[in-house]
Amino acid sequence: METAALLVVLVIALALFFDFTNGFHDTANAMATPIATGALKPKVAVLLAAVLNLAGAFLSTEVAQTISGGIIHESQINDEVFPAVIFAGLIGAITWNMLTWLLGLPSSSSHALFGGLIGATLVGVGAAAIDFSVVVSKVILPAIIAPLTAGLIAFTATKLAYVLTRRYDSKPDGRDGFRWGQIFTSSLVALAHGTNDAQKTMGIITLLLITVGYQTSPEPELWVVFACAITIALGTYMGGWRIIRTLGKGLTEVKPAQGFSAEASTASTILASSALGFALSTTQVASGSVIGSGLGRRGSKVRWRTVGRIGVGWLLTLPAAGAVGALAAGVVVVMDNIGLAWLGILIDAIIAVIIIVILFMRSRRDEVTAANAMSEVADSGMAVKVKKNPGPTRRQRALQREQARRDKEAMK
Amino acid sequence: MSITIDWLAFVQVFVAAMISSVLVVAFYSIGLRLLVRAGRAPVVAPADFTDAIAVISDKERARAAKAAAKAAKKSPLTDGQKRFALIGAYASFAVCALAVLGGLLLIIFNH
Repeated sequence: METAALLVVLVIALALFFDFTNGFHDTANAMATPIATGALKPKVAVLLAAVLNLAGAFLSTEVAQTISGGIIHESQINDEVFPAVIFAGLIGAITWNMLTWLLGLPSSSSHALFGGLIGATLVGVGAAAIDFSVVVSKVILPAIIAPLTAGLIAFTATKLAYVLTRRYDSKPDGRDGFRWGQIFTSSLVALAHGTNDAQKTMGIITLLLITVGYQTSPEPELWVVFACAITIALGTYMGGWRIIRTLGKGLTEVKPAQGFSAEASTASTILASSALGFALSTTQVASGSVIGSGLGRRGSKVRWRTVGRIGVGWLLTLPAAGAVGALAAGVVVVMDNIGLAWLGILIDAIIAVIIIVILFMRSRRDEVTAANAMSEVADSGMAVKVKKNPGPTRRQRALQREQARRDKEAMK
Repeated sequence: MSITIDWLAFVQVFVAAMISSVLVVAFYSIGLRLLVRAGRAPVVAPADFTDAIAVISDKERARAAKAAAKAAKKSPLTDGQKRFALIGAYASFAVCALAVLGGLLLIIFNH
């Protein structure tokens, strides 16, 4: 009994650690632009992101319930094996996250988490324990559809923002004001991040508590909500300092009007998805928005090679994290079969500690560059090539023709 | 084992997200445009951190402010029209804020 309780505590600790790294990693997504534009002071921006992540975690628990009450058939699992399986899944997720981070591959911590959990369950319990219709409709399909729709929305919004502020008389167009607007849209992105990403850890911990018979409803306990919200906020705050140190290096050029539209699209897509319980990757949605908004500018072209690289990284995450999770669960299952279940868990735990130590050492090493600490969202801006001086719009061409005609008449 | 997918939910997310972001972006843009019309072109100071976005320099800012002042001088709008535009601008920003607030309330109370 003591070992079971110990395992529960261990899994909760590991889940919260995952939550922390998630916040740590994703601050850049929301707050890189307002810091860069000078709309917000770095300290204020990071603090704001942390507070809004905290608030977002309390907004809705739909996503947490998707994980705790949907993906796994509770009738198929029991409290003897499953805590170890969740443990193995978390190790799979964290390992994959660390690998992609070290190798600089685009990835999604959310999909790593789902991949690890599903992979571990497949090996540890069997395919019958997984509700594939929930997995497909609430995890896999949103993963494909959400970045596309976010891109489409960002494209429309960017076109709109430019058309509505375009002037033909070369008077100031006021587009500078979008920098102020970005304070609000970035804040909304941070809030949306809390409504989706903090929920994932809540869902995992709640699933664990249901398994061991501590609770029956898929609604997360209040202390779980608090713990996850505070952890992700803390991660966001700590992660911010890394980003601030890296700013000042050249990156993709995102105009304020474009950034504003992209962020509005990201925030609204994530918030709407969270409300319906879709667990999606905030990084992927934000990347989709940045690409879409780039295309919304005149004279832009897609760099398909970059898009392909990003896409492959995304597709790889779920199965790869699944494989690592399955491997970790396999250790537990094999050891359980020869009557040494605790040894399997111990092996996994040792691996986890090693990974966390490596991660920590790595983050302490002082080699923070734009390449390894800036967000993947900013990278995805590279996928669109925008001309410095795009050709005239239809109306500008008409005006030019009119001017030429008048000049000609004046000559006569 | 059959997989049932609620396609309607995807449409719902898309429509809700599209409407809300278009509302926010459109009204914010209109607000900015009216602000310019009212002779108050927004000029944002340059940042210490130059990254990700083309940040304007002091010189460019001064030039923009001058251009705005010149345009305002040339503008044939009467004071009344300007005041009207300014009210319109603030109203647009207010619509923007209300749209965001409404969306959040919808999420909080709708689950």
